[in-house]
Amino acid sequence: MAYESDTKEAVVPARGRRELDLELRSVRKRYGSFTAVDGVSLQVEKGQFVCLLGPSGCGKTTTLRCVAGLEEPDDGDILIGGREVTRDPPWQRDIAMMFQDFALFPHMTVAKQVGFGLEMLKKPRKEIAQRVNQVLTSFEIASLADRKPASLSGGQRQRVALARAMITEPRILLLDEPIGALDYSLRETVMLELKLLQQRTGISFIWVTHDQNEAFSLGDLVVVMNHARIEQQGPPEEILQRPATAFVASFVQGNNVFRGTVKEILAGALAVETPVGAFVVPRPMTGATPALGATVSFSVRAELVTDMLAERHVNRLTATCTAVEYFGSVRRHIFARADGEVLKVDQFGAQAARIAPGQAVQLGWTAQAGVLHLGSPERGPPA
Amino acid sequence: MSTIRVRSPASYWLAVPAALWMLGVVVVPIVLLVWVSFWGGRAFSTASPLTTDNYARFFANPTYVKLVFSTILHTLSLMVVTGVLGYCIAYFLTMKVKSPLWRTALFLAFIIPFWTSTLIRAIAWVPFLGVNGVINQTLMFLGATQSPIEAFLYSRTGITMAQVSLYTMMAAGPVVYMLNSIAPQWREAAMTLKATPFTVFWRIVFPLTLPGVVIGQVLVFLNVMSDFATVATIGGNKHALLPNLVLLFYESSQLRAASVVAVLLMICMLVGVVIALRVVDIRRLGAER
Repeated sequence: MAYESDTKEAVVPARGRRELDLELRSVRKRYGSFTAVDGVSLQVEKGQFVCLLGPSGCGKTTTLRCVAGLEEPDDGDILIGGREVTRDPPWQRDIAMMFQDFALFPHMTVAKQVGFGLEMLKKPRKEIAQRVNQVLTSFEIASLADRKPASLSGGQRQRVALARAMITEPRILLLDEPIGALDYSLRETVMLELKLLQQRTGISFIWVTHDQNEAFSLGDLVVVMNHARIEQQGPPEEILQRPATAFVASFVQGNNVFRGTVKEILAGALAVETPVGAFVVPRPMTGATPALGATVSFSVRAELVTDMLAERHVNRLTATCTAVEYFGSVRRHIFARADGEVLKVDQFGAQAARIAPGQAVQLGWTAQAGVLHLGSPERGPPA
Repeated sequence: MSTIRVRSPASYWLAVPAALWMLGVVVVPIVLLVWVSFWGGRAFSTASPLTTDNYARFFANPTYVKLVFSTILHTLSLMVVTGVLGYCIAYFLTMKVKSPLWRTALFLAFIIPFWTSTLIRAIAWVPFLGVNGVINQTLMFLGATQSPIEAFLYSRTGITMAQVSLYTMMAAGPVVYMLNSIAPQWREAAMTLKATPFTVFWRIVFPLTLPGVVIGQVLVFLNVMSDFATVATIGGNKHALLPNLVLLFYESSQLRAASVVAVLLMICMLVGVVIALRVVDIRRLGAER
């Protein structure tokens, strides 16, 4: 997809303040007694790729629909390009949206469909035809110009939907699970194309997904949502390495979550008593250190747990291996924990396998490997 | 699970009962009707010579010819009124009524009158339209008029009013069906592409419901063209349309003249349906998804 934006140039912020494409200020949306979005605040910088990640029903799609103007929030403000648009209808907002099932108009040909946005902008007929032609060519769907959506494949529909949304060069493109309807084999290619397209055009993408692989490989900023709230937002690395809450840690693949109480406060670390033993966890980098006896949770990444124990692996635990799985280049060992949960231990697949199912192994990790979560594990993040 | 394949012998056998039935009640009577309309001579027998005299006699009478045109005109005006009203009702029911309970209640309120026969419903209009009828009394009570309006009963206006009430739901029903098949995200997608609600309607909703509109119009067209009962009850003896002429000839035992009018009526209806099919391919109803 060699889509080139010919009119949009990188706009240098006029003032010293960085320019925001989108800002949400404690947006709240209720349906009757059900709160779909609860105090969501978010800042999207110019040309950023943001992924809203969370399980189904977490409020990510409702948040997106509020940005599009398809839902009106009960509370809070929405600013697009610094302009307050909270009460504006969708057709007055500088956005475009790609729907989960692409929402192609069944009665329009591909060319008509893609030109629809320009028609709405009252562009002259000749200009529309020329621009449609150009965009169809760059999206490699020029041969489909006279076809109707019913006769297109999933991948073709996805391209048409993208071309239709991109042709008006909006400030923000909203994507609601845009590749969820595609064959698994197509997804990776399309993901890469979309990422390159986003970087080339400088249009901000807000991408809603429940698939963490999508979120972590695409997003400049990943926003993890659960129960209508933002649990954590930050660059992918930060969320992978320092999950802020027990939910984020358990939602993100490869974390082992432990819950317990603070038994002892050491210099720079805490000793946490859990049902499967006492472990040393570093103090949180930000926020207050929990008090003695407080209920806390922490997580340890599966690749930081090892069976090759040395003196520095101060946290130790004996468990029985129940299964070995392969995730791409990673070999994952599943262990049964005494508290009924599982412990995951990852090794590179290239290394020789040392642990077989049924084997009881002593495992350990260093004092620095654990990440203490904010807030109490049951009540979610602090407001 | 076993399935019957297209063009397998079983599928033909399954079509036999319906085919026999249609042959007996539709095809044979129509052939007879057309045959009788060409009978010459005076005797009513199968030995009659075939001529076009009956048709010549019909077209020689300007009153009859005018009746053909006034029937078509009347039907067209009814199609316009029921089409607009029916679309509004369908749109209101599917798009504006959000609560499923209310939607069902309103839909039943529209549908239940159809459980009585058309003739009864036509007759039911008489006490409404008369000089001392409900409408006139209401108008006078409201002070909208001093003396009762006589134009309602035994007039073209009255016939139109009654027929609008009888046939509007026929125009609305298929539109309700088509509106229900419009995915909300099509309208939302149009809105995010900067289309105002009016444009969304004209560019997305209306074109997608067009097959429903056409089917509704065909239903109204066929029913109004063949409706002699309403015309007879509301119009009294003063007004007649083509189907009433069939009845008139039939009752005076002029079976050949009655067949001629019936054949002409059928031709008009056939032409109307063919035109409708040209506008929208209703066989592909809802197929484009």
